[in-house]
Amino acid sequence: MSLLGIILTFSLVDNIVLSRLLGICPCVGSPGGMRATAGTSAATALLMSLSALAAWALESFLLRPLGLEFLRTPAFVLAVAGLAGLLDVVARRAVPQLLRAAGIPLAGIAVNCATLGVVLIAAKGGFTALQSLVVGLAAGGGFFIALTLLTAIRERLEVEKVPEWLRGLPLHLISAGLLAYAFMAFDRAFLSRLFQGW
Amino acid sequence: MAEPHPDVASPPALAVSPAPHLRGLVSSARLNWSVACCLLPAAAWGVFLFGLPALRVLGMAAGVSLLAELITSLAWGRITVRDGSAMVTGLLVGMLMPPGVPLYVPAAASAFGIMVVKQSFGGLGRNWMNPALGGVVFALFSWSDSMSRWLPVRGAGSAVAPLAALRDAFAGGKAGSGGLLAVLGAHGYPWSATDGRVVTWVNDHVLSLLGASLPRGVFDMLVGTVPGGIGEISVPLLLIGAAYLIVRRVIRWQVPVTYLVTFCVAAQLFGGLPMGRGWLAGGVLFQLFSGSLVLGAFFMATDPVTSPLTLRGNLILAASLGVLTFFLRYFGTLGDGVPLAILLGNAVAPLIDRFTQPRVRSAGKGVIG
Amino acid sequence: MNGPSTRSGGLFRNNPVAVMLVGLCPAAAVTGRVIDALWMSAGLILVLLLTRLSLEILKAFSFPGSGTGHMTDWLSLLFLASCFTASFELVLGAFAPDESAGLGIYAPLIAVNCIVLDRLAGRGSQEPAGPGEIGRSLGQASGLGAGFALSLIVISLIRETLGSGTITLFPIGSFGGTIAVGGISLAPARALVYAGGGLLCLGYLAGAARLVRRVKGAERA
Repeated sequence: MSLLGIILTFSLVDNIVLSRLLGICPCVGSPGGMRATAGTSAATALLMSLSALAAWALESFLLRPLGLEFLRTPAFVLAVAGLAGLLDVVARRAVPQLLRAAGIPLAGIAVNCATLGVVLIAAKGGFTALQSLVVGLAAGGGFFIALTLLTAIRERLEVEKVPEWLRGLPLHLISAGLLAYAFMAFDRAFLSRLFQGW
Repeated sequence: MAEPHPDVASPPALAVSPAPHLRGLVSSARLNWSVACCLLPAAAWGVFLFGLPALRVLGMAAGVSLLAELITSLAWGRITVRDGSAMVTGLLVGMLMPPGVPLYVPAAASAFGIMVVKQSFGGLGRNWMNPALGGVVFALFSWSDSMSRWLPVRGAGSAVAPLAALRDAFAGGKAGSGGLLAVLGAHGYPWSATDGRVVTWVNDHVLSLLGASLPRGVFDMLVGTVPGGIGEISVPLLLIGAAYLIVRRVIRWQVPVTYLVTFCVAAQLFGGLPMGRGWLAGGVLFQLFSGSLVLGAFFMATDPVTSPLTLRGNLILAASLGVLTFFLRYFGTLGDGVPLAILLGNAVAPLIDRFTQPRVRSAGKGVIG
Repeated sequence: MNGPSTRSGGLFRNNPVAVMLVGLCPAAAVTGRVIDALWMSAGLILVLLLTRLSLEILKAFSFPGSGTGHMTDWLSLLFLASCFTASFELVLGAFAPDESAGLGIYAPLIAVNCIVLDRLAGRGSQEPAGPGEIGRSLGQASGLGAGFALSLIVISLIRETLGSGTITLFPIGSFGGTIAVGGISLAPARALVYAGGGLLCLGYLAGAARLVRRVKGAERA
């Protein structure tokens, strides 16, 4: 698959949140505004791409050659956690003001389905190193798209008088569900015809 | 109603604007019933062409829509059916349905649209997604075979909508050159007898003097005697209804015009490419008159509840819709692209609002309505 | 947010999915068929109990990684949860390969959800380890696991019945495992089986849970 195809697939067609249903918790749970959204997405994209690369390395040099595929889950979980911790330390040293302003809980990003899920998808897809990196970035991009749209919708909902039993998270989930239906407009047939057509 | 949240970096400008009031005002009862009346001519045309099945589908869609609104609003202790929005939703759902569809489909679509897409968010003015389109797309994904049960027009023989027939023609790979109507004719698309008479007459008496000729099908497409969704086929009747609404300032003309112009430009320039016909060969006029493009542009993209608040925001959205519809229709496989494009537009509208709203600095969020 | 205080707390009052809103990804993703939900819940409960038990045993012997330091605590939890999950995946793959394929990439995610739930279960347990403490903590964990299972089963029943017209359970003997449901199986609303359907059901479940709590609260007051 070409790099452009990977980008479009993992950000639109198989959107991490709206199609694969990974990373729902940060998308509907975190109450931040737009700035926090941008920060969280950037951190997530970075973590996803680095983790995908690390997973590729683990898969290619450790798991497959030594026949240790059954250790994939522990290896990937620890790799993701390790990278998240590393990023956290680096970010705290390098850009502490940014972290405070954006309020990014990096630990939260590590321990959610999204990063691990992306890593698993990338590992099973048989991609090259560069492609794995791009998969992670594209997935992060898709996460950014979903999170941004849902945050804007959430901000609009905050000033409306909604039914009490649905206020807050239930309505965010319902909005995400409706958004997921809308995003089904981007399907594989559409993508493949787009590439053929040009 | 909502306290400033400690984690929010900056208060959303939306909170202090009178926007919710504005949405509520514009969506008042009188306006909704006007919209419903303006939809009726096109709906009646569909019933005329397709007969009793179409009437049943329309009735079911409108009926379930009103019933769902009644039930849910009773749960809140007030009756909102009178505001006419459920009628508009029901009519739109029915008009987007193929006439041969089993009746549970429009029923489910209306119910879904009213209960999930509108009432769950608090009712009129509070939903961000168009209820009719939400319901129709739900039906499209749930019962996709049923959603292409076209019926033949009285007197004609075909039960395939022109757009679908065109797709088949090109899928075969042997579409010839010439206009899209010529391609359809070459594939044996059965235009009506009236079309034959009118086109032949015009060709013989008028155009032969100019050395030109119209292909078969022009009359059918223009007037709307082709298979298709019940209310989407008659562009002239839809335009009459829309014109009334524009004159009475119920809807803004800028939005549908921008939408259609953008679509036409994209389609004419690039539309020929996926069909292997080169640049500037998109067959724009055919596209304009097929599918729910006119219905969507004038009656759904203009819904004030789900549109951006500023004119600038609306124009940005309308242009995006034009481009998006072009992509979905020419490269997608899920119908004519308009419902899904408008839904995606609904999703992006709050974001557009966020960036086109004039920033109003205030200590906290105002308490609105 | 207080953790569950009694065993029943995790099932209804503090249901992980419907009330505390954790573990949403599998709840939306793996509920297309009832059997997928059942296996996912079974896996989570198993891994959660085993992890909790191991951590309690470690605490009893005061090994590092059992509450003595934040980082080692975290690492041991991650390691244990992912190892037990890997074991579950292997067993599932060996005995029910179709199901293993059905769960796909969501099976390894049991580890992640288990980590979150375990943090909730182990909260407030700074007391020295002992049989009573182990029993209490396992009770909490099983309550949370049962609550997770309940939510998933409810969502999957709705989604599969209305979305595919079937109910898929374990094949036993001559029973193929799939029950076709009356009229709906003729024309099910397939959209419910897609991603959007999962999110919608999850949203309404959370809302319904809140409604129930409100009604119960009004009764008590």
